[in-house]
Amino acid sequence: MRIQNGWLHLVKTALSDFKRNKIRTALTALGIMIGVMSVVLLIALGIGLKNYLNEQFESLGANLVIVFPGNLSGSDEGGGLSNFGAGFAGGAKFDEKDYFNLLRIPEADYVVPVFMKSGIIESGGVRKYGYLLGTNEQSFKVLNLELLTGEFFSRGDVSARSKKAVLGEVIAEKLFKDPKNALGKTIRVSDQRFKVIGVVKKKGDREQDNSAHVPYRVTFGTLNPNKNFFTIYLGTKDEEMVPILKERAKEVLLKRYEKDDFTVTEQTEILSTVNQIFTIVNSILVAIGSISLLVGGIGIMNIMYATVTERTKEVGIRRAVGATKSDILKQFLTESVLLSVFGGILGLILSAFTVLGIRLFFPAAINLFSVIVTLFISSAIGIFFGVFPARRAAQLPPIEAIRYE
Amino acid sequence: MIKLENVCKSYFLGDEEVKAVCDVNLEIREKEYIGILGSSGSGKSTLMYLIGLLEQPSAGKILLNGKDVSKLSDDELSKIRNRFVGFVFQSFNLINRFNVIENILLPTKYAKEKLDFDPLKRAEELMKKFGIYERRSFFPNKISGGQQQRVAIARALIMSPKVILADEPTGNLDSKTGDEILKIMETLNKDFGVTVVLVTHEKDIARRTKRQIYIKDGKVVDKYL
Repeated sequence: MRIQNGWLHLVKTALSDFKRNKIRTALTALGIMIGVMSVVLLIALGIGLKNYLNEQFESLGANLVIVFPGNLSGSDEGGGLSNFGAGFAGGAKFDEKDYFNLLRIPEADYVVPVFMKSGIIESGGVRKYGYLLGTNEQSFKVLNLELLTGEFFSRGDVSARSKKAVLGEVIAEKLFKDPKNALGKTIRVSDQRFKVIGVVKKKGDREQDNSAHVPYRVTFGTLNPNKNFFTIYLGTKDEEMVPILKERAKEVLLKRYEKDDFTVTEQTEILSTVNQIFTIVNSILVAIGSISLLVGGIGIMNIMYATVTERTKEVGIRRAVGATKSDILKQFLTESVLLSVFGGILGLILSAFTVLGIRLFFPAAINLFSVIVTLFISSAIGIFFGVFPARRAAQLPPIEAIRYE
Repeated sequence: MIKLENVCKSYFLGDEEVKAVCDVNLEIREKEYIGILGSSGSGKSTLMYLIGLLEQPSAGKILLNGKDVSKLSDDELSKIRNRFVGFVFQSFNLINRFNVIENILLPTKYAKEKLDFDPLKRAEELMKKFGIYERRSFFPNKISGGQQQRVAIARALIMSPKVILADEPTGNLDSKTGDEILKIMETLNKDFGVTVVLVTHEKDIARRTKRQIYIKDGKVVDKYL
């Protein structure tokens, strides 16, 4: 009973002091709130970015070997992550010859070249932002696409340079309201016109769903003057063939390019690299966010020192009626911890609402881990930054304190 | 009950040592009503704080029921102050953001052992006894000085201490209210057997106590001049 009574008194004392200094309390808690919000939101965005990229990769079919220019991770020379940027900036530029060479690999059941370009897709005066995917007939299989209506273009369409397009459900909706209306219509990308022959079901992947898939050869010209591919996918029906397929692809490409000019990787490898990168990016973001948390903590310390000075006489009175040094210490610590936990919870609630808003267009997320860590950190800040002022209060000589005016 | 043997208390003002109390020998027996009389700056308040264990002597010994208290820890001293001593101050020293009843209950929050009484019930009894029950949920700045001092006395009594130490308890009050407070002190001593030590600079007030100790320049003297 005595313990409970004691804590109740501590909390009551703290709250009555907060009530007396409402603005000061609110501003101090605001400092922690902003700190917590910045940490939680940065973690949430980090998770979101990771989820987003994972979704992108998961939308590709399994048993896939991916070839792209430059050297992303896994370099034998230990270039590792530092070459990440260069991977997209330079290296080999694949062309149709590479595609044909890769087609000759016997283990490859599918070989899909991909040219991608973002821009305006227009039809009947409606202009929407979307993507043009120049690829071949096998891409529908490799990308796990299912028809909503119409049909896919064929191998013959690719070699005949047929100006046919298969639209993603989302872009079809944007252009024609009902995707089924798209069939037979003409869309225009730059100066090229395509006839819509099919619409594929929504996959939840923003790029896929907003793409017009066209035979890659059609893009050769104004759309893709260098006749390059951004990436080439190789697929196999047998999972165990993936490593062999990888080796074969490397052998083929080494005949034309240097080792560092291209990367042959499989989906899982890319995923783990991406996850690695985001773990690092996330840690950096959290470190930056923590700075504001630190500033909030200093705010608490500042206010607690002011409070101790203001309440010196009260400390003296309490000591006279029997409070021990540790009673006084506990009292001020309770206040600083309550203040920072209050700010922390407020920050968490606001972050939760913000994340709910962000989720409408981006898969950001607050996980239990960040909630626990945040509450733990904000109490730790309350203790750490509160302990110095509280110690000062506890060490006050009772007589001097009681005479303080 | 409380015995001071050659007690000195000095402070440092910069490098200079100031002796507030020096070579004091005195004994306070149970149920006594004592006045400590001295002019301002004579060291009488320091002496009171020493008796109340709020201050440790620089030299000499303070014995509480024959036991030297100078070796006790802060926790032990706080516990004795909590259970054994009640302070009453000139400026009341109530906590302004607590109401009357919360102020009176304050010492019970620092009791280290389970209380053998119901604090709320006792607080109500005390408030009724001192005529402040109607004011129980008022804050100190909303009641008169006399009422504030009654609250302070109730706070000093809530733990049923053996001794009440009052430092100029009438100093901030008009003579009529002061007289009422002194009457309360007398009742406490006479009817409830509480030892009362009253510190004052007024001879008339000191004269109302049963035994007077004169203090001048930090020393106990035979006669107050």
